[in-house]
Amino acid sequence: MEKNVMVVDDDLAVLNTVKRILEYAGFQVMAVDSGAACLKALKNGFHGLILMDVVMPEMDGWETIQTIVDQGLAKDNIICMLTAKETPDSRMDLLKEYILDYITKPFAAQQLIDIVTEYIDYLPSV
Amino acid sequence: MTDKMIVVIGASAGGPRVLKQIFTDLPMLNCSIIVVQHMPNFINESIAQSLNSVTEMEVRLFHQDEVLKDRVVYVVPSEYHAKVIQNRQIQLRQGERVNYVCPAVDVTMLSLHQEPGVRHLGILLTGMGRDGAEGMRHIKHIGGQTIAQNEKTCAIFGMPKEAIETGCVDWVLPPDQIHQKLIAISRTPTSN
Repeated sequence: MEKNVMVVDDDLAVLNTVKRILEYAGFQVMAVDSGAACLKALKNGFHGLILMDVVMPEMDGWETIQTIVDQGLAKDNIICMLTAKETPDSRMDLLKEYILDYITKPFAAQQLIDIVTEYIDYLPSV
Repeated sequence: MTDKMIVVIGASAGGPRVLKQIFTDLPMLNCSIIVVQHMPNFINESIAQSLNSVTEMEVRLFHQDEVLKDRVVYVVPSEYHAKVIQNRQIQLRQGERVNYVCPAVDVTMLSLHQEPGVRHLGILLTGMGRDGAEGMRHIKHIGGQTIAQNEKTCAIFGMPKEAIETGCVDWVLPPDQIHQKLIAISRTPTSN
């Protein structure tokens, strides 16, 4: 099974760093810089683990996840938040069942690899 | 003689990897462990299998009206609340969300009741919100024991913090020490 990861972050430095770390670890990584691009990728059939930034212009991480859920695109995808905010937004309350983990930036490369490795195995085969 | 023991572990965001830490190399214990993890339903089986692969105990999803057995870890399936009836039998039901979630940790913990010869242990791990706080208070009030994950090791120190603030948490520990404490408590052959 392919190990697909999508990183969603408007900070290109973070986006490229995460992509490089995870590709080095053997994952197939799609890097997108907005919630809209994430939704488009899901509609085009992306299946895997999504690392989602919270603070993004236009559509933030919570709005993006809410749209993913509303449009029935959450099924068979695991979502983890990737954020610099230490305190999660209360909007997460309604999305708790869809968000498996909350990774605070900055993070160590090995920590990121360990978490992605752990969760990618939970994905159902498609 | 060793009492019957029921352990309820509640977790939300960040929970799967902490559960893995707690269950890794966990020996066979004479207790029933119920895991209430907020998660999407398509990973229920994966979580159970993942935990089953690291402990000597049998880990599996709950089934309706199942009678609790020692040496088994039960994972509550998504979209069902799990109540323990008379400290013996599990009742799964679909219904309104409690604390914004289904299953809710509180529903399971609050269904436990005081009974001679039955011990209870509540463990509350990382997660946002306050699900489990009332349940932990209840377990303490019926004579049970309670453990909350410490702040440093939580992805989100929400649920454990709320439980600690009730004043009803006995120990605040990192996952490796929760592992040890769980073993120690379950092997203590005392009656209340």
